[in-house]
Amino acid sequence: MKSRGAVTLLAPAVIALTIFVVLPLLWVVRTSFNQTVDGAYMVSAFTFENYTRFLGSSWYLINTLWFSIRIAVITTLISVLLGYPVALYIAQTRGLQRSVLVTMVLSPLLIGLVTLVYGWIVIFRGGGLLNSLMIALRVYDEPVRYMWDLKGVIILLVYIGMPYIVLSLLDSIERLNPSFVEAARNVGANRWKAFWSITFPLTLPGLYAGLVIVFTLNFSAFAVPLMVGANDTQMIGLVIYREALLNNDLPFASSLSVIMIAANATILTGMAFVFGKLILNRLEVKR
Amino acid sequence: MRASSTRMPDMGTLALRVFTYVAMAFLFFPILITLLVSVNPREFILPPSGFTLEWFRAAWTSDTFVRAMGVSLSLGLAASVIANALAFLAVLGMVRYNFRGKAFINLLIMSPLLIPTTIFSLALYVFFARLGVGAGIPALVIGHSIHVLPFAVRILTASMQNFDTSLEEAARNVGAGPLRTMISITLPVIKTGLISSFVLCFVLSWNDFPISVFLAPPGWTPLPVELFSYIKFQYDAVGAALASSLILISGVAMVIIDRMAGLRRVMQR
Repeated sequence: MKSRGAVTLLAPAVIALTIFVVLPLLWVVRTSFNQTVDGAYMVSAFTFENYTRFLGSSWYLINTLWFSIRIAVITTLISVLLGYPVALYIAQTRGLQRSVLVTMVLSPLLIGLVTLVYGWIVIFRGGGLLNSLMIALRVYDEPVRYMWDLKGVIILLVYIGMPYIVLSLLDSIERLNPSFVEAARNVGANRWKAFWSITFPLTLPGLYAGLVIVFTLNFSAFAVPLMVGANDTQMIGLVIYREALLNNDLPFASSLSVIMIAANATILTGMAFVFGKLILNRLEVKR
Repeated sequence: MRASSTRMPDMGTLALRVFTYVAMAFLFFPILITLLVSVNPREFILPPSGFTLEWFRAAWTSDTFVRAMGVSLSLGLAASVIANALAFLAVLGMVRYNFRGKAFINLLIMSPLLIPTTIFSLALYVFFARLGVGAGIPALVIGHSIHVLPFAVRILTASMQNFDTSLEEAARNVGAGPLRTMISITLPVIKTGLISSFVLCFVLSWNDFPISVFLAPPGWTPLPVELFSYIKFQYDAVGAALASSLILISGVAMVIIDRMAGLRRVMQR
């Protein structure tokens, strides 16, 4: 029997993932209906209390959910603005230059967050490099606060997100047939026009892939706001972390996770719809 | 008329190049700064006034850090051994056989990459709490192993797809058993894939903060979590030396992975 071999080989990984990914996720959903009673750890129940506590509170809705969505949207867009030109340039390079550039782009992904944050603290501090630079350039006169502030969180989320955008765009730019762009240039389109009518629409799938990764990453971020955020930086991932580990309120943390995944899925579905339309429209016009 | 490649770089390309180098500076600056601060004799006074390994000596002789390094080292090794063992078998099954539901199994295997780390860590935390054991060494090792598993699967799939199975058949024909064939043919052929997969899994685990902070038990703190609690209360160049040590190890790993498997292909999500 040929397929018995496949079953034996795949079983360990499939069993491990079922026990340690699928079951825990299902258990989070179940836990979100449990109750936390003062003094007791967690009581088995079936209540929507945890959901209404969050969804029924305008404070939470505005300062946590809406706040996280806004920060994730802003940081993802900045990552695209910075990442797109970089991907375009790297796609034009060859050999050693390309591999050096790719390694530089990827290095933040392999070097851990805490390590990177250390460097950023040196840059962010009151009299630190960033403030010295900005004051020297006369952008502002007084040192500005980046550390334990939303500005620092935004800079770091862009920093972590940009490599993913570059990576997925680079992939689709390379797949692009260069003769399309050449053809457009030959019939008289300038560089800008050729970019908007050929390169940009054809790299929309890569852009979409990058957006999905970075939006999800930033929407659920907890380590960055934990390390450089201020007290009012109540991103939903951080609230989940605090409720689970500091307040021991697993049911509430679980319900927040369910809400976060649902919100993320809704936003990604909307994005898929918009991108689907965009790609279709562009292709229709070109025909 | 030839394409732009034969012309001198025009304004557009030039602008793109300048933009890219500025963006590279943005990406590399914090790393460079950490390295500079860690060898600078006068704490945090830049530009550096000399060269010292004093901070490194302090970092590498601190009991807390040495202990945390031991933790991270054992954790990284355990996670890469477990992940690669599971990945190796699974990839053999995926590459060599065709069966219904393959796409679903593939999705399941890649799922740790698709789920936000916050949710994955919380789920394991809640799950182990439910089992009555809570965060502990088993939870931490499992969390790390599962998290790096998709990366191992991806590298090993690439090296196994180029595998010429006639080599194995030849070995079997001259009388080698399945195990013997595996040890003397299969493993040596995919050696570079296995090595880079080990290195990648190790370095991802070695540098991980989000999973560790959820699952590490008291008294068994991995290095990044220890570094985090250090810089929360203490701000000195010893922290920079420790961060630099992490950077240097990651750098070596990156070179190995890039040489053997291509860094970019490996990190694509």
